[in-house]
Amino acid sequence: MRQPMPFPMPPAMGRRLAAPLLVLALLAGCATRPPASDPEALAEYQQTNDPGEPANRQLYAVHQGIDKYLLRPVAVGYRAVVPEPIRIGVRNVLGNLRTPVILANDMLQGEPRRAGDTLGRFVINTTLGIGGIFDVAGKHFGVPGHTEDYGQTLAVWGVGEGPYIFVPVIGPSNPRDLVGFGLGILADPLTWFGQGVVVDALTYSRTGATVVDTREALIAPLDDLERSSIDSYATLRSVYRQRRAAEIRNDPTRAAPSAAGGTGFGVGTGEAPQR
Amino acid sequence: MHPISRRGLLGAATLLAPALSGAARAQTDIGRASAFIQTTGQQLVAAINDQSNNLAARRQKVAAVLRHAVDVEGVGRFIIGRWWRNASAQEQQEYIRLFDETLVRNLSARFGEYQGVRFSLGRTQQRTEDDVLVNTVIERPNSPPFSLDWRVGDINGQPKIVDVIAEGTSLRLTQRSEYSSVIQRNNGQVGALLQAMRGQIQQLAAREQGR
Repeated sequence: MRQPMPFPMPPAMGRRLAAPLLVLALLAGCATRPPASDPEALAEYQQTNDPGEPANRQLYAVHQGIDKYLLRPVAVGYRAVVPEPIRIGVRNVLGNLRTPVILANDMLQGEPRRAGDTLGRFVINTTLGIGGIFDVAGKHFGVPGHTEDYGQTLAVWGVGEGPYIFVPVIGPSNPRDLVGFGLGILADPLTWFGQGVVVDALTYSRTGATVVDTREALIAPLDDLERSSIDSYATLRSVYRQRRAAEIRNDPTRAAPSAAGGTGFGVGTGEAPQR
Repeated sequence: MHPISRRGLLGAATLLAPALSGAARAQTDIGRASAFIQTTGQQLVAAINDQSNNLAARRQKVAAVLRHAVDVEGVGRFIIGRWWRNASAQEQQEYIRLFDETLVRNLSARFGEYQGVRFSLGRTQQRTEDDVLVNTVIERPNSPPFSLDWRVGDINGQPKIVDVIAEGTSLRLTQRSEYSSVIQRNNGQVGALLQAMRGQIQQLAAREQGR
């Protein structure tokens, strides 16, 4: 039962989408807070942590449209056309490119062992794994990947998550994880590495590949969720918040997701695809 | 599973129990819970991988094992939570019936696809005073192994599964949130949930037919 979503998107696309989405959110308004005379309802309202639910549901509907007509078909096509070994290679390269950010967050959370794992993986996979195509560290040295991001670091430092937010294309999130997502882009050395047409093209290719790879990994889990839930918005919200909590406490039973994740579902580290 | 080997497993678990650290009462609980999960898991794996049966028969076997092992009514009551009181006696009865069917169909549809599945007990730990969390590792061909935690409660002296936790996500917490959302959005009408559940069961049934 592997789940959920999000995709990083290019900043330009974010800017173009932001204004209309904000208007939509404001029009939709807020969820009604239950009165203090109904303590059970109030407790549930606080537990759900979604005061902007009406707006979030509209944004979710927008996302579902984008997903149905663009993201999912592209992911299904990618799976059909590109042979599996190449897809694994792409996933591993993307995972390897993410290691600087994972390493920084291992260190910021004061986890020297995990930082050592991340550094070792980067060195081994970049060299023996030929630029990260093969996960040699995971397969032959027994050092599996794990995820970290700035949202998790902020959480470890005691920053609360804030209200639940659903962002189309990116997926389920909250203010803390969105800030962490932005920091992840800003603090990534590759964001600042060089300039010009070639670098821009590479940056956009990486973003595009990340979106497609992530959605491809989520074909079965999201189909499953759609099928087994009578309110997929509420299910996704609950799953996201539980998983995020498990990621933050570095739950040892939880393997890293293999594909990329945006704000909430952690960043992937490569390895075998799921079916 | 034959009764003899089940006794054997329980015996083995009892012998192992003193080797594990912890208080005496907790040991028995953990040992009993993990033996129960081991037995149930082996029954499930046997049912799923039984090549002499077709898919429909395999699913039926899986459903039978699940109905025996899961505290269906307790889980259903947990999931509907505070809305139980809003329901009429008739709605309560129908809810439990629909919940049983949804749960078993959903799980057996999922497990029914796990051909070639293998499972083993992972580390076991006691999480709360009432329940034991039993960790298992599920392996499927061509897939990375994943970890599944079973929450085992004591229901009238019998160990029963009360929750399944995958990657930090509790099935019953997720479903509780889902059902409550449906009822809330329909002005607290439990009938709306029942209708949605009926629709979902129809879809699941149609899908099983289509295979």
